Amino acid sequence: MATGNYGTIRPADVSVEDVEMFYSYTPNRESLSDVELIPLNPSEVLVPANNPNNVTEIFGGLYTLKLPTSIFGTKGFYNIIIRPRQIRTTIQDCSVLIDNQDVKGIVFDINQIPTGLQSRFENGNLVGYRVEYLKEESGTGQDKIQNLFRIITSNNRALPITQNQGNSNASVAYTFNDNSTSVFCTVSPSSAPSIKPNAVPFIGNAQQGVIITNTFFDPVMLEIEMVEFDDETLAYALFSNQTKSLEDGIYTIYNFGNQIYRQYNLYEVKDQFTGKPLFEVREQKFTIDPTKDFDDITNF
Amino acid sequence: MKYISKKRNLENYTVRNIPKSVLVKDSDGKTVIDTDSPNYYYGTIPNFKIDNEGNFILNDFGQKIVNTIDIELFLTQNLDDMGIFTDNPYTPKSETLSTKPNNFNSFTYGRLAGAPVDFYYSPTPQVTGNTDDSLLKEVKSYRKSSGGDDIYVTNLNTSKDPKDSFSGVLLEDANKIVYKINANKNNISNTGIEYTTFKNVFTNTIDDFGLNKTYKTTIFKALNSGWNQFNTSLNASIKKEEYLGVVFKPEVESVVFINRGVADIFERHSLLSEIKTTNDIDTNRGGFIRS
Repeated sequence: MATGNYGTIRPADVSVEDVEMFYSYTPNRESLSDVELIPLNPSEVLVPANNPNNVTEIFGGLYTLKLPTSIFGTKGFYNIIIRPRQIRTTIQDCSVLIDNQDVKGIVFDINQIPTGLQSRFENGNLVGYRVEYLKEESGTGQDKIQNLFRIITSNNRALPITQNQGNSNASVAYTFNDNSTSVFCTVSPSSAPSIKPNAVPFIGNAQQGVIITNTFFDPVMLEIEMVEFDDETLAYALFSNQTKSLEDGIYTIYNFGNQIYRQYNLYEVKDQFTGKPLFEVREQKFTIDPTKDFDDITNF
Repeated sequence: MKYISKKRNLENYTVRNIPKSVLVKDSDGKTVIDTDSPNYYYGTIPNFKIDNEGNFILNDFGQKIVNTIDIELFLTQNLDDMGIFTDNPYTPKSETLSTKPNNFNSFTYGRLAGAPVDFYYSPTPQVTGNTDDSLLKEVKSYRKSSGGDDIYVTNLNTSKDPKDSFSGVLLEDANKIVYKINANKNNISNTGIEYTTFKNVFTNTIDDFGLNKTYKTTIFKALNSGWNQFNTSLNASIKKEEYLGVVFKPEVESVVFINRGVADIFERHSLLSEIKTTNDIDTNRGGFIRS
């Protein structure tokens, strides 16, 4: 038997509609407060790059985060989570296919899915999506069943069919029918291992809440440290132009574009009685004196 | 999840320009900054992009442009082949769509309910290329000319299955022979592969053994390529667990331990034949039998 599979890593070309983003902020690493995650709208801050040879074609992999300075303009640490978009719904039913009774699956109602996301539930479109489960009982402290997930391996519109089980009993199985608004999804793992034929893996219960997530890209967490100084700004103090006004003692440091970067007042503190100099002081000046423009000073 | 750490200096986004328009004279006649001026942004990071005069830069729609800190990142996707799927019949939607959705493609729409199979057909390309004249002998007559040369009879069906298919010469003149291989007998002109072998034009190549090879130059033309009614059908595809990662259909070989998913009958019997003592039950393959 020729068996095998292949795996690869490819540049993701996910649409921003299939992305979720959150961020948190802390002024320093020592902050003890709980992490507060705030949603970001990916369509406003995530821009895919286009192929330079064909501007209507996504380049793949390369995205630009455009972080608004109104939110990200403060010194400190921003953590940005970029992850596949989640769809929350409930399992309509768990059953088998009427023609393949060993094929188990979970059923979703397309009408319960937000309108803009219903196309994801069309036949075959959910393949590769991940299903995570919510606890059926509430108030247990944690609503999500942790460390449990299944992967959707196929999905088709399906219609429930009653099959007689004798003794006045009947059970429901599903047959594929495109006229239905129910979607039958096979998931993996869903079959028993050969050494324990009765150990059928949990795939969910009817009316159980689930989180369905695409796997179009691997989630990413960015830690962005916003700082006020770097090598460049420190170099201003060492190598850039400076002026010292002898009339009023204003000491000005310019950036490499000759714009005023910092201003200081230079003065001496003397003994009020003897006039003996005690200190030479350099004190930062927060009200900028615009007459110390470098180009104006040196333009003579 | 990937973790990426970046550092950005806010100074790069801080305004250090003082426009002349915000400079005023105070009561002492000294030039000072009018900090109440809407064009004064010195030492701040504006929420919208501004020019050197402190005016908002507008886009083509006359809207202010959000000032952003741009960071490039690269997103990747890990993937594995799921293996083969199993086709199942399904009941088509009773109301079929008459026109394709815009930019219809099967990945975006999947097997769209109500979409007839011809939505999935692709335009028929005409595939052409060059080949050797080895198929010419398939369409020759059993007769020979008086000089011992092959005879090609127009419309003589030399197919091995002449009831359904046609292989034979369509046209012969002084320069070339045009012939079809495996055309549908009822639609010869639109089916099969058409070859044209030129009688007086030769191609010289070197074969795999480094030897010179010469044949009559031949071109081929295939008409019915692409996805069409002959090679496309719609099914409900399901995934059987035992075929996860199996990328080819399983083929029966002489190996009795071939893994067919949930039931390895021969393997279990063979293992039992190795059990001689009760201890073997516990120790064999880590208690495989016991469990």
